[in-house]
Amino acid sequence: MTTRRAASPPRGEALRMPVLTGLLLVLAALAIAGGLAIGDRTLPSGTVLDALVSKAGRVDTILVWTLRLPRSLAAFLAGAGLALAGFLLQALTRNPLAGPGLTGVSAGAVAPIVAAFVFWPALSSVWYPLVGFAGGMAAASATFLIASGRMASPLHLALGGMSVSLFLHAVTTYVLLLSGPQVPSLLFWLAGGLQGRSWPQLAAMTPFVAVALAGALSIHRVVDLLSLSEGAAMGMGLRLALWRPLVLFLAVLPVAGIVPVAGPIAFVGLAAPHIARLLRPPGSGWAMTLAAAIGGLTTVLADLIARSIAAPRELPVGLVTALIGGPVFLYLVQRPRALAVEACR
Amino acid sequence: MTPLAPSLAARPPARWLLPALVGLTLAAPLVAVLFGVADLPLRDVADVLAGGGSAGARSIILDIRLPRIVTGMLAGMQLATAGFLLQTITRNPLADPSLMGVSQGATLAVTLFLMIAVYSHDPGSNTVVELPLSWLPAVGMLGGLAAGGFIYLMTLRHDLGALRLTLCGVAMGALLQAVALGIVAGWGSTRMEVLLEWLSGSLYARRWEHAVFLAPFTLAGLAVLPLLRRPLELLRFEPAVARSFGLAYARSFSLVLLVSCALAASAVGAVGPIVFVGLIVPHLARRLARGHFPLVLPLTVVLGASTVTFCDLLGRLLGRADEIPIGVVTALCGVPLLIVLLRRTP
Repeated sequence: MTTRRAASPPRGEALRMPVLTGLLLVLAALAIAGGLAIGDRTLPSGTVLDALVSKAGRVDTILVWTLRLPRSLAAFLAGAGLALAGFLLQALTRNPLAGPGLTGVSAGAVAPIVAAFVFWPALSSVWYPLVGFAGGMAAASATFLIASGRMASPLHLALGGMSVSLFLHAVTTYVLLLSGPQVPSLLFWLAGGLQGRSWPQLAAMTPFVAVALAGALSIHRVVDLLSLSEGAAMGMGLRLALWRPLVLFLAVLPVAGIVPVAGPIAFVGLAAPHIARLLRPPGSGWAMTLAAAIGGLTTVLADLIARSIAAPRELPVGLVTALIGGPVFLYLVQRPRALAVEACR
Repeated sequence: MTPLAPSLAARPPARWLLPALVGLTLAAPLVAVLFGVADLPLRDVADVLAGGGSAGARSIILDIRLPRIVTGMLAGMQLATAGFLLQTITRNPLADPSLMGVSQGATLAVTLFLMIAVYSHDPGSNTVVELPLSWLPAVGMLGGLAAGGFIYLMTLRHDLGALRLTLCGVAMGALLQAVALGIVAGWGSTRMEVLLEWLSGSLYARRWEHAVFLAPFTLAGLAVLPLLRRPLELLRFEPAVARSFGLAYARSFSLVLLVSCALAASAVGAVGPIVFVGLIVPHLARRLARGHFPLVLPLTVVLGASTVTFCDLLGRLLGRADEIPIGVVTALCGVPLLIVLLRRTP
C-alpha cells in the first residue's frame, strides 16, 4: 500500500479516489432525493421540489421537510458512522470479521440504554449516548479481554464477541420482560428503526459521527500503521498504549451517538469497509472515507426499502440490512482471504 | 504449558468423583422441589412425594414444580451433550449451540410461528392463543435443525473446516437473530410477552407435556452416544490423523453434527435459548475428568442436568414472584467463567 503511494501514481490514479467518493456521494444524494418522493405516499418530483422550495405549511411540505428529509439524512449519517466504526475496529484488531455487532459494541450500547429507559424513565434522553458509550466501551473491552488481547484471531474474536452479545441480549430481553407496555416501541428501536426520526434526533447524532470521522481522518496514518502489524507500528515509534485506546474510543463514539437514535443497525458496519477495500483505496484515509460513503448510501437505500416494500407498514431498517448484509458476510467467511489475517500473525 | 502438565493430565480422576456427581444430580431435583414462590413446609412436600398430601400441595408439587424440574433436567442434559459433541467435532473447546446458529434458527421459527398464529387467529384482539403454545417445541426444533443443516451445507464445499463451520455459525446466528427481531418489531404488537418469555430462556410454566416432548430425544441421544464413542475419540484429531485410523471422517462428522443439532434444537424448542450451558458444562466435565476422555461424556450429561436445575432454582429464589429467567442466570454465571476459560485457551 505504502509503496504504491511512494511511487508516482499513473495518470488518473491520483484522481480515482476523489472521483469515486464524489460518485458515491452523488448516488447517496440521489437516493435521499428519491427517498423524499417514495414512501407510503408517493409524490411526483414536481411536488417534492415545490415542497422543498416553498416552506408553506402544506401537507406535502410537512411530509417532505419534517418526516422524510431528516429521516433520510439520519439514515445516511447512521450508516456512515457505523461503517467508520467497523473500519476502525477491523484495523484495530487486524481482523476482517470485527464490526460493531461482532465485537459487542452495539449490544453493549443497547443494554444500558434499555435499562435506563425502563428503570430510570426520568433520565433525559440527552444522556443516552453517554450511557451507550460507557456500555459499548465496556463490552468491547470485555470482548478483547475474552479474545486474549487486541490481536484476536478471527475465531476468538467471533466467539468472544458473540458470547458478550448473547449475554447482553439475555439481559436486555429480561429488562424488556420487566418493562411491560413500552415493549413494542422498544422492540422497533432494537431492530434498528428510523421510523419518525426528525431534526432534533438528527442533530443529536451528528456531532458524534462528525467528531469521530474528523478524528479518524486526522490520524489516518496511525490507523495505517495499526492495521499493518504490531512490529511495523512499534518500529515507527508508535505508542500503542496511547493510540489503541484512542482508536477504540473513536470507534465506539459514533456507535454511541447512533444507537440511541436508530438502534443497532445490523451488518452495515461489518460489510461497508469490505466493499470499500474492494475499490483498492491507497491508504486508511481514503478507505475510511469510502467506507463511510458506502455505509451511508447502503443505509439510505435499506431505509427506502424498509419503508416502501410493505407500505403502509414499516419494517425496521435493521431487518433489511441483515437480509442484505448477512449473505455478504457469509460470502466473506467463505473466501479464503477472509481468514488470511490469522495466517499473517 | 509447563512440563508438569502431562503428568497432571494423566492423574487418575478422583474415585469419589462419579458417585458424588450422581449424588448431586439426584439431590438437585430434591432440593429444587422444596423451594418456590409458595412456601410449603418440608412435611407437606414429603407427604406429597410419598403419595399423600393436601390437594393444594399436590397441585403445586406435581403440576408445577416437578414437571418444571424434569423438563429442565432433560433440557440441561441435551444442551450440555450437544455442546460437547460440537466442541469435539469442531475441535474448538468454545463451541456452543447458540454460537452455531441453532438457537437463533429456533428463535426465528418460533417468532414466525407466533406471528402467523396470532394473525390468523384474530389480528385485533389480545385474546390468549392457547393452541400454538404446545406446538412451540416442535417448531423451535425444526428451525434449529434447519439452521444447523444450512450451516453444514455451507461448510461442505470447504472440506468441513472447523474454523469455517464456527464462523459461519456465528454469522448465521447474527443474521437470524436480526431477522427475528426485525419481524417482531415490524409485525408484532400483541402477545409479545409469550415470545419474550421464550426468548429469555425460561422454565416458567413448563408442564409435563414439555417433559414428554423432550424425553424421547434425551433417550435417543443417550442411546446413540455409546455408538459414537469411537468416532468421537478420533474426531478430536486432525482429519488426516482420524482418517489414518480408518475413520470415515465425513460421515462421522455429519452424524455427530446431526445428533448435536437434534439435541440442541429440541431443547431450545422446549425451554428457549438457554445460553452457555452447552459451553461451560463440557468444560467443567473435561476439567473434572482430568484428560480421561471416556469419562467426559457421562460427566457432561450428569452435570448438565444439575446445572440447569440449580440455575433455575437460583432464578426462582432470587426473583421470588418476578422470577429471573434461567437464561439470564446462566448468562450471568457463564460470562465470567467463559472469560477465564478463553484466557486459558491458546
